[in-house]
Amino acid sequence: MAEKTISQEFAKGLWSENPIFRQLLGLCPTLAVTNAVVNGLAMGAATTFVLLFSSIVISSIKKLIPPQVRIASFIVVIATFVTVADRFLAAFFPDISKALGPYVPLIVVNCIILGRQEAFSSKNPVFRSIIDALGMGIGFTISLLILSSIREILGSGTFFGMPLTGAWFKPWLIMILPPGAFFTLGLLMGIFNYLDKKRR
Amino acid sequence: MNIYARMIIVLTSIGLISGAFLAGVGTLTKNRIALNKQKEINEAITRVISGAQISNKIYEEKDLIIYRVNGEKNNLLGYAVYAGGVGFQDKIYLMFGVDPEITKIHSLTVLDQKETPGLGAKITSEKNFLQFWKNRDCTEKITLHKPAVNSPDQLSPYEVNIISGATISSEAVVNIVNTALERIRVLKEEGKL
Repeated sequence: MAEKTISQEFAKGLWSENPIFRQLLGLCPTLAVTNAVVNGLAMGAATTFVLLFSSIVISSIKKLIPPQVRIASFIVVIATFVTVADRFLAAFFPDISKALGPYVPLIVVNCIILGRQEAFSSKNPVFRSIIDALGMGIGFTISLLILSSIREILGSGTFFGMPLTGAWFKPWLIMILPPGAFFTLGLLMGIFNYLDKKRR
Repeated sequence: MNIYARMIIVLTSIGLISGAFLAGVGTLTKNRIALNKQKEINEAITRVISGAQISNKIYEEKDLIIYRVNGEKNNLLGYAVYAGGVGFQDKIYLMFGVDPEITKIHSLTVLDQKETPGLGAKITSEKNFLQFWKNRDCTEKITLHKPAVNSPDQLSPYEVNIISGATISSEAVVNIVNTALERIRVLKEEGKL
């Protein structure tokens, strides 16, 4: 396989290897927290932060880690940054921290992060790992934003908490409940696949 | 180097460095997190007892914290009660204010809940639920009023309108308040307030 250019390395996370729509990774937080745009954004930002710093650390110390204990080492590093993100949110954004509840600590087990360490950072230099982490993190965040925008607008009639629709609009309650998450994700994946097929 | 020794050394070092790093982050954020909690409690107290100036925690047990609330002239306005109990999906934490004789609930606010969005979560809505808690008589047990059966405007002084579609959440709040009130009366008799 030919070496990817830096811009390709970044862009793959946005489309061709998008964590949610193409790799179907990290779906649990995706479904759970996207009932409001602000939650989606905070979740995306926290995940990107953890992914970026874990990738930097792992790609820098990859030669020191014996292959037998690599997964354990990755998880300890990831858990450290997740705890940092969790404490930071609780200290500076208490409302968001409350809304996200247990899903911030659960970033530890988000497959995207461990997956990128195993598939990428442990085999690539630091700079490339940073680009890969940023691409994947931003791809994940954008996907969450699309999903949560649709759900919040239809489910609450608001966008970022601001009223968007007039009084004539009766919010579709189901969109902010779990089934709404599945419907939206399924439809978006269908559209994504259709567009991808057309592009080829 | 022996592979086992290397495995142990690498994992231990990663663990130690992470631990030290987290200890630092924990110390840096600890005060701020405590401050946020305190601020939230203080805001809730001013919401449930109007004119609240000074509040002191006077009693604490599992799922129940009582604050004595004084007004501008240091006169006793009443007690702010932080109470928790089982809701539909997870615990509900709320705060309500009562007068010093424990005969009237001034107001109630919900601090933490994970009820169903759009249904049970309406316990945080002023229009649907919280307004009915204003100035409730609590000399008798608080009960729920079903507007579908009776007319909504005929609330007796100790009744609260139920949220349609969220009976369990409404009942949970009423139960938390009744349990807390019972406990406060006992404490008052024991002279602990």
